[in-house]
Amino acid sequence: MQEFMEKYKWFIAEINKADKDVKRKIFRNLSRVKKDFHPTEECKADVSNLINCALCPNMCRFDCGTLQAEQKETMSPSYKARIGYYISMGKIDPTKAENKPFVDLMYKCTNEESCKVWCPFEFSVVSLLETIRDDLNDKGLMPDYCKQQLDKLHKTNTIENHNIYLTYKEKNIKNIETDGNDEVYYFIGCEMMKFPEVVKANIEILKKLKIKFSTNLEQRACCGGPTFNIRDFETAKDLGQKNKKLAEKTGAKLIVSDCPGCVLTLTKRYESIGINLNVKIIHIVDFFKQLINEGKLKPIKKLAEELSNVTIHDPCLIARNLNDTTSIRTVLKNIPEMKIIEPIYTKENVHCCGWSGTAHWADKDLAIKEAINRINELKETGSKVIISACPLCELGLGYGITNEDKEKIKIRDISELLAKSL
Amino acid sequence: MDLNEYKLIYDKDRTIIQNKQEIETKLKRIIGESNFSASEIDIFAYTKDASLIGYNWTLEGTIAGLADYITWPETKEQIVEILKLANKEKIPVIPFGEGSGVVGGAIPVRGGIIIDMKKFNKIIEISDKDLTVTVETGINGMNLERYLNAKGYTCGNIPQSIYTSSLGGWIAHKAAGQFSTKYGKIEDIILGMEVILPLGEIINFKPIVRKATGPQLDKIFIGNEGTLGIVTTATLRIWPLPAKRTLVSYAFPTFENSLEAIRHILREQIYPAVVRIYDKDETARHFRDMEKATEKVMTIFVCEGNERLVDLEEQITREQCEKFSGIDCGEHPVEHWFETRFRVTETSSTPQYKLTADTIEIASSWENAAKLYHRVTETLKQIKGLLLITAHVSHFYPNGIGMYFTFAGVEMGEETNFEFYQKVWNTTMKAVLESGGSIAHHHGIGINRSNWMEKEWGKSFKILKEIKKIIDPNNIFNPGKVFENLWKGGAN
Repeated sequence: MQEFMEKYKWFIAEINKADKDVKRKIFRNLSRVKKDFHPTEECKADVSNLINCALCPNMCRFDCGTLQAEQKETMSPSYKARIGYYISMGKIDPTKAENKPFVDLMYKCTNEESCKVWCPFEFSVVSLLETIRDDLNDKGLMPDYCKQQLDKLHKTNTIENHNIYLTYKEKNIKNIETDGNDEVYYFIGCEMMKFPEVVKANIEILKKLKIKFSTNLEQRACCGGPTFNIRDFETAKDLGQKNKKLAEKTGAKLIVSDCPGCVLTLTKRYESIGINLNVKIIHIVDFFKQLINEGKLKPIKKLAEELSNVTIHDPCLIARNLNDTTSIRTVLKNIPEMKIIEPIYTKENVHCCGWSGTAHWADKDLAIKEAINRINELKETGSKVIISACPLCELGLGYGITNEDKEKIKIRDISELLAKSL
Repeated sequence: MDLNEYKLIYDKDRTIIQNKQEIETKLKRIIGESNFSASEIDIFAYTKDASLIGYNWTLEGTIAGLADYITWPETKEQIVEILKLANKEKIPVIPFGEGSGVVGGAIPVRGGIIIDMKKFNKIIEISDKDLTVTVETGINGMNLERYLNAKGYTCGNIPQSIYTSSLGGWIAHKAAGQFSTKYGKIEDIILGMEVILPLGEIINFKPIVRKATGPQLDKIFIGNEGTLGIVTTATLRIWPLPAKRTLVSYAFPTFENSLEAIRHILREQIYPAVVRIYDKDETARHFRDMEKATEKVMTIFVCEGNERLVDLEEQITREQCEKFSGIDCGEHPVEHWFETRFRVTETSSTPQYKLTADTIEIASSWENAAKLYHRVTETLKQIKGLLLITAHVSHFYPNGIGMYFTFAGVEMGEETNFEFYQKVWNTTMKAVLESGGSIAHHHGIGINRSNWMEKEWGKSFKILKEIKKIIDPNNIFNPGKVFENLWKGGAN
């Protein structure tokens, strides 16, 4: 309040100079903000910030991935907030079938949070949309595409139609079940199971380091990240407890994950629902960086020519959520004769691959368009190898690349290159 | 959702389209299903621009204008075909960039077809030798500038709206940026253009630096506000990124002292990229932690370019400021401006307090500048309900200035906020004209100023109207703007 009074001291002075009719009217207006512009019914929507966003001139629009993908005003951040506000005010009735496109719009966001970088109010649009999703859930209006994800989580413990962790045998992934005395618990992201060569590379590196670790694929469950986007905290807690129990069973004091979404979920998101794993949890590339800096991990081999000239796609979850833009670069720079060509939009200004959040469920074509945009930016570097460190990015970029380009440009995880250089 | 349940501000003289379904089918055939919409969620997204009164309307659940169809063409041939259809059926066409205009230019006041140019967003070519970039005009300004910066250049047009505006919008509304005193305004930056005329003809203006080839026809499309054509591609001047930048600020005892200091700086052919004078009220608002600026007129400068030239610019700037009793305030006020210049929060807060606010930019000669400032501020203060009227000057020429007024207030009695808004606008326009100024510096005419075009232009407005008739004989291009007056509010 003191800060507010200080900031608007000049304005209060102006009000005081006004004649008494005007002054009375202004003070009346000031006192009626909630009454006039907020819903009368109790709701979870962050109405104050929805208004702030809806009435903003769209200061983040140029960096909104979905808007840049669709190139339609309908996808602009302020418009999403405007619709969210109208839903919370009852101006748009979400129960009517004809209004389904407005409800769907609340899910057409990739959680990339580049908007937050430019926001005058310092929030991300998704943080507002999530509060609308909470109200929709309370009214039993969760969209089918979200229900389908929950259904899979309930049935398979993963975000796939089958328990993807149990496919390790057919993918020749060496599973290591814990004996309760691990140094490190390698927490494999369920989407990373679609990239067995990455998992194998990580296992190979950890083994070369002579670290005692486990992967526990027979017992694994998804971290629950998707449930936070869907806003089903019961399922989130259920998965959180399962993961906490397994983490404790390993005895490890360090959890490393190949998926930044898992790292975010196991840390900040679990904390928000009262679950604390009480161990250090970091992305595996951060772990490798630390070991390189300590001299314990030494990439020594020059890689084949076709892998020695790379560009970097920073996963937005690592760059903007975990605030880490150095790990990938440190690892790459330590590989002999590695040449890195940075794209224009890089580090904390990276553009999303399209495959995070709820957008790819609500509108797969939209997510693919965003992936195509990102591939085009990365192609402009002229590099034939795109390096990332997130299974969702590797999935999304895979959707964005044409079959023709797939012949010329490879999408690789940082761990694959690191393993080859040891 | 039923759009008819929303109060519509511009609900008069809307075009009645009898064969709506047939037009829809034809439009889809021209641009494809995915580039067409008549659905409520899309129509609703194009009901407003960034006019400040529009934020009050958004909060109230009122809409400004309602289009019938939204199109997102990807090729100029598609635009040509849309225009042929629109002419045949006499349907209005509203070109749309990023919707950041603040005078109502992109509001579909008569209904019709929105042509959203966002998909024209490709950077075609940078020429280092000629220092030019050729680019499609739907590109967002910041995305153009970021791309250029990454390649080592700047276009130099950095309006406060750069995050939210398009190159096409800059051209259509004759934009000027914050660094304009050095790099020029959009008309100085544009070298060549491709324009699609209302009847569908595509014309080109060669990107050659100067041509003595008869009258400059290209200039009528810069500032045409979507009433004479759609600019699809443009070649712009660019500059290598500056080698050095210095930040200078001075606080002056009066507005006049500051104006005189800057006039003398420009007379010496010194062009700092950024020059901004804040009157005493705006100084109190923006620089409240600067003790030296208390009750004074803060003035900030950014000099940039070649290192030696920048040193000289700074030296002469300081000499002139001190000659006119300026007190050196160091770099901090300029750093503060850099930090806050895009942190726009007022559009979000004022409508919640039911305040009606806006900014109005105008142009003046040096001779009339101070007089005009006092005339406008004093006249507006007479309006019942007006709470604040302040000004800053942010665009400078050796022969005059561009000044920016900011007002906020509340409607009183039976008056609506829109009537109050119109009254303040019209009163400002009248006072500016009576003080020898021009009614707009860089936001354009749109709806807000069209009432004053006759007085601004005099007899030459007739010629402009004749040109409009020749180029757009069916008057389908952005009707209700520039050439027609939708506002009936009077002036104090």
